[in-house]
Amino acid sequence: MYSIEVKDLTKEFKSYRSREGLSGAIRDLFTREFNIVRAVDGISFNVKKGEMVGYIGENGAGKSTTIKMLTGILKPTSGSIQVNGRDPHKQREAFVRTIGVVFGQRSQLWWDIAVQESFRLLKKVYKVSDEQYQTHMHEVIEILEIEDLLNRPVRKLSLGQRMRCELAAALIHNPPLLFLDEPTIGLDVLVKLKIREFLKELNARYGTTVLLTTHDLTDIEALCQRVVMLDEGKIIYDGELQELRENWGGGKSAAIEFTHRIQLEQLTALTGHLPIRWEQENPLKFRAILESNEMTVSELLACVAPHIEVKDFRIEEVSTEEIVQKIYQKGFTTYA
Amino acid sequence: MFYGELFFDYLKQYLKTKLAYRLDLLNELISDFISQIVNLVFILVVFQHTNFIKGWSQQEIIFIYGFFLIPFAVFSTFFNFWEFQEKYIIKGEMDRILTRPAHHLFQVVLETMDPESLAGVFTGLIIMGYAGYQLDLEIAWYDPFVFVLLVLSGVFLYGGVYIAIASLGFFIDAKTGISPMIYNIQSYGRYPVDIYNKVIRFVLTWILPFAFVGVYPSAYFLGREDLFVYVWITPVMGIVFFVIGVWLWNLGVKNYRGAGS
Amino acid sequence: MPSMYLEMIRIRFLMMLAYRVNYYSGIIIYSINIGAYYFLWDAIYSGQGSMGGLTPSQMTTYVAISWMARAFYFNNIDREMALEIKDGKVAIEMIRPYNYLAVKMMQALGEGIFRLLFFSVPGMLIVALFFPLTFPSSPETWGWYSVSLALSFLINTEINLITGVLTFFLLNNEGLMRAKRVVVDLFSGLILPISFYPGWAQSILHFLPFQAISYLPGMIFAGAMGNEQIGGAILIQLIWVVVLLLPLYLMWIKAKNALVVQGG
Repeated sequence: MYSIEVKDLTKEFKSYRSREGLSGAIRDLFTREFNIVRAVDGISFNVKKGEMVGYIGENGAGKSTTIKMLTGILKPTSGSIQVNGRDPHKQREAFVRTIGVVFGQRSQLWWDIAVQESFRLLKKVYKVSDEQYQTHMHEVIEILEIEDLLNRPVRKLSLGQRMRCELAAALIHNPPLLFLDEPTIGLDVLVKLKIREFLKELNARYGTTVLLTTHDLTDIEALCQRVVMLDEGKIIYDGELQELRENWGGGKSAAIEFTHRIQLEQLTALTGHLPIRWEQENPLKFRAILESNEMTVSELLACVAPHIEVKDFRIEEVSTEEIVQKIYQKGFTTYA
Repeated sequence: MFYGELFFDYLKQYLKTKLAYRLDLLNELISDFISQIVNLVFILVVFQHTNFIKGWSQQEIIFIYGFFLIPFAVFSTFFNFWEFQEKYIIKGEMDRILTRPAHHLFQVVLETMDPESLAGVFTGLIIMGYAGYQLDLEIAWYDPFVFVLLVLSGVFLYGGVYIAIASLGFFIDAKTGISPMIYNIQSYGRYPVDIYNKVIRFVLTWILPFAFVGVYPSAYFLGREDLFVYVWITPVMGIVFFVIGVWLWNLGVKNYRGAGS
Repeated sequence: MPSMYLEMIRIRFLMMLAYRVNYYSGIIIYSINIGAYYFLWDAIYSGQGSMGGLTPSQMTTYVAISWMARAFYFNNIDREMALEIKDGKVAIEMIRPYNYLAVKMMQALGEGIFRLLFFSVPGMLIVALFFPLTFPSSPETWGWYSVSLALSFLINTEINLITGVLTFFLLNNEGLMRAKRVVVDLFSGLILPISFYPGWAQSILHFLPFQAISYLPGMIFAGAMGNEQIGGAILIQLIWVVVLLLPLYLMWIKAKNALVVQGG
């Protein structure tokens, strides 16, 4: 059973151009030039119930546009969307009761009044019964540790405090599906960790499906088994995060520092039978690049350590961030 | 009813916000009052120099103005759309509205509501009452009902026009700033339209039909039988323009492209 | 004037050009405004030869030029300032190497020049086709009018800056700005020449800065002032330009010291 089913989804915008200079601006008064921009270009994907999916891409890749179509804000140019079994834009009011949305850069809460007043109003908007509110929100408030913030006006909260309240506000009606658009933007590490913990807990306890866009790939590493990667409106990767790392991570490497000077030939001779490539940084420091995933680091160490004294040893793993960066720089196909 | 309850909840929310800025409230009430008086001053000064304008006396014109203030005050309370484009479209607050389960127009109305404008109802009643007293108008038992009907029609008509104007924001990517300009025009409905030439009379009757908020409904109470046709189509105009406004709005929401990327 | 300020005028000018709908609707609405007031006054005169020192044709000219001049001097910088103060953006403006108030005035000037060239001048020509206007015949009057118009821009902008700066102290002065707009329209003589008011009101209005915004230049243009009176009118305007600087300056100093950025 799918939470989100997207097929051949496309969204086009008219983008107006301004002509240059004063004379251009005067001409713009009468006729305007525009081009059609495809923000989202024929994408298809499904999200299973209870899945946590990271939706990533560079700025302008079409992430926000997709989210806005999935949440019923924007009408697609073509293609079909089924979210929680409904067409978001057609049955908007009934539909949005089944989702929760957090926009990291936009507040759900009323700026000048206490947080709980906002909650109370949203409770009415979403027609949440008192019992449901009591049991469910009590938990949410407890896990997010926002009990003490509830009677403070929103404008007096720090960004991290506000964000936790925003999350709670989006969950008032205990939606089975949660959209998070840049939820951790601008937050410090501790708050980020707390939010991640909470989302995991939410997912485990209620089976909430989560679709998450973020710039911070550590969010995705911590939360999502699956990523959908977008570039220029098209999906360029959709699959396990682990697989992405294995296939495009370029393997592991180990940095080794020896106590005295070593020749590169000595090392290649010692490890010639292993799938290893050596790089030299300076006479003491070398890097061993493991070219097979099957090979373990201990094999490497077993070959080298008995013969040469090792001062320091460090396993280096390519971060997801670097992988993604490489993919965007070199293009997915050439990199693959 | 869901929407009725929501209305009171938003109202409560609004009052809580307002209590945080109490001085503001006073400030706003006074400034509203000043604008209302300023227009009265215009009428009073002009009648220092003449006794009739196209057959309308000073008291009659003051009566029309007093009547106008009442639907206008109710309208201002609920259709406070002056900054709609800036706030909801350019800054993207509409995104948030669209992720909530209540009609979008209704939500915007509730969020921008401005109950202190209702004070204008009292100013209007006082001005109208005073002029009516001077004119020695007779009041039939059913007149209060006619009055409420005509006021509501005016509110819906105004509402429709301004919803339509706000909807333009969905289609136009640059700031329009159109509503403050229309704001200038609406005051002409407060004067007897027969002083204008055909074109302006036509505009004020059928295109931007502000005459239906001032002079036409007042004609009923002033016993101007030559204008009674317009009195009776006032409710029709109110409904028609409101429907057009809402229709344009819905079309606009379909066309909404969101802020940013 | 440093080229930075010139650049600001230019940018604002371009911004105005970008608001196309605003532009078209503006021309239509101002024409309707002038038309409506023309008929209103026509009905008020209804055969009387002269009122408040103006003949019907002078009155028509007065109404038309007053509205077109309003397009030039009118601006919303007080609202913009209020918004910037409320959003806390003003803090950023404060660390920039320029005078915030001067920048605002330059932006207003850019806006004003745009409207003067693309709005008032063509608008005036259109209006002249429909209504019997009498343009000043002597180049001298045109010259004096230009000076007077420039001064009215300065006075109105100073008043706007004052209301804008008041936001620092009132936190939210939406109401005050609205009231100011109506009061300026009424007391400046835009909707009613000062000479129409009863004697006691006139004597009060002569001591207020508002008449210098619309009434004085309007009367010069409509040819309702002799040469001597013109000199006096310009002098009054000049005095107000200087006098208004004082409260503006004092309030600005105070505002900078007590910078309360809301929402911060």
